[in-house]
Amino acid sequence: MVDARSTIPNAVKRWTAPVVRWARRKSPWVLHFNSGGCNGCDIEILDLLTPRYDMERLGILKEAAPRHADVLVCTGPVTRQSRDRLLRIYEQMAAPKWVVAVGSCSCSGGVFHGGYNIHGGIDKVLPVNVYVPGCPCRPEAIVAGIAQLLGEI
Amino acid sequence: MVPFRLLVYPGFLFLFFCAMLFSWLDRRIIARVQGRVGPPWYQPLADFIKLLTKEDVLTTGAHALASSVLPMVSLVSVLTAALYVPVAGVSADSFDGDLIVVLFLLSMPALTYFLAGWVSVGVYSIIGGHRSLLQYFSYEVPFLIALAGPAVLSGSWRIADIIAYQGHTIWGALTQPLGFLLAVVGLIGKLKRDPLDIPKAKSEVVGGPLTEFSGRKLALWHLALDMQTVVGIFLLVNLFLGGSRFLTGLPAFPVFALKALGVLLMLSLASALYARLRIDQLATLGSRWLAPLALLQVAVVLWMRG
Repeated sequence: MVDARSTIPNAVKRWTAPVVRWARRKSPWVLHFNSGGCNGCDIEILDLLTPRYDMERLGILKEAAPRHADVLVCTGPVTRQSRDRLLRIYEQMAAPKWVVAVGSCSCSGGVFHGGYNIHGGIDKVLPVNVYVPGCPCRPEAIVAGIAQLLGEI
Repeated sequence: MVPFRLLVYPGFLFLFFCAMLFSWLDRRIIARVQGRVGPPWYQPLADFIKLLTKEDVLTTGAHALASSVLPMVSLVSVLTAALYVPVAGVSADSFDGDLIVVLFLLSMPALTYFLAGWVSVGVYSIIGGHRSLLQYFSYEVPFLIALAGPAVLSGSWRIADIIAYQGHTIWGALTQPLGFLLAVVGLIGKLKRDPLDIPKAKSEVVGGPLTEFSGRKLALWHLALDMQTVVGIFLLVNLFLGGSRFLTGLPAFPVFALKALGVLLMLSLASALYARLRIDQLATLGSRWLAPLALLQVAVVLWMRG
């Protein structure tokens, strides 16, 4: 996942690649977006950032600007209204970027599956790296999901 | 010796190390105050490398040249200011009046920060940029007047002379406690740290002027701000806490480092304990209270000189 326009020679890249991979694993900055959920999973995500779970231990910071973020954490099914916004936010993020779908609705559409105003899960619109099911999922499950993502980076 | 002083100690490498260390200690202290564990020691380094290797997105309508030059100007002016700020009595260069040059160079990042918001044409960037200018006028006046105190007392605008003056009298913070307090408040405003982080308040203006920056430009902005923290703290230690002098016979560097960490602790505790001010509250505080108090302090200093 190296920038395609980069002009660094391959010999240098071979030496820097492990360092870069380490840095990316240790510093995932998170952007949180609710594409139409019931707010249950959002509260669980905010729980993660409280002192009780202390996600800064893993280097996770919650960013407000899409351009600063590495990981897009989505909750809720994708509604027809929010589809364009979700895509636009994803496009604003700088590569390399990852997507985590949190909650049953964002994994598959959940109880809203087949609804007239619903596209379905996040994976109908964006490439999803990790699915965290649950309604709402516990903060521990979200930590496990993000840890799995960090292992894959 | 000059290349060593410019590049290694007390130049670029030492400042880079200090920037990483102070940034980590700051996050760690805030975490401990909140009852958390906080990030591991390599966290600022990992953040920096990651940002360097991320894609560099340029917004439509943003000025390409200006948005790449501005973070460099910010970093370069901070590094140039660092040349004249002694670390444990060692500085790369020194001349009569270097304090004024340091103060000028340390206010350059505020200008580039505003321009960063202006050239990147985002809504939040421009609001953040205007807020940073308003904040600049509120904190910079009391900050400059407060830093004039030690210079007036010692009768020299050379930082080395001010340190020497405190060496054969007592610390500036003891003769001018009010001035020291105002300088710390001014430094918090200058570094846009927590009670005064009005230009980059996440819940109000997203990322402030840096909203549209990503990749290595953002990395340079963060580095410039972290280095500004280091240089600002070193400057206060030199002007108000007597540089590296404490008791005769103690080695210079550990004493200086302890004093610098003490000032850092003050900044971190202020961030952890106080909530953000609104911009109008800051403007009122700055012009009605901080600036008159700073003038009062200078009047007292003039009286002490007789």
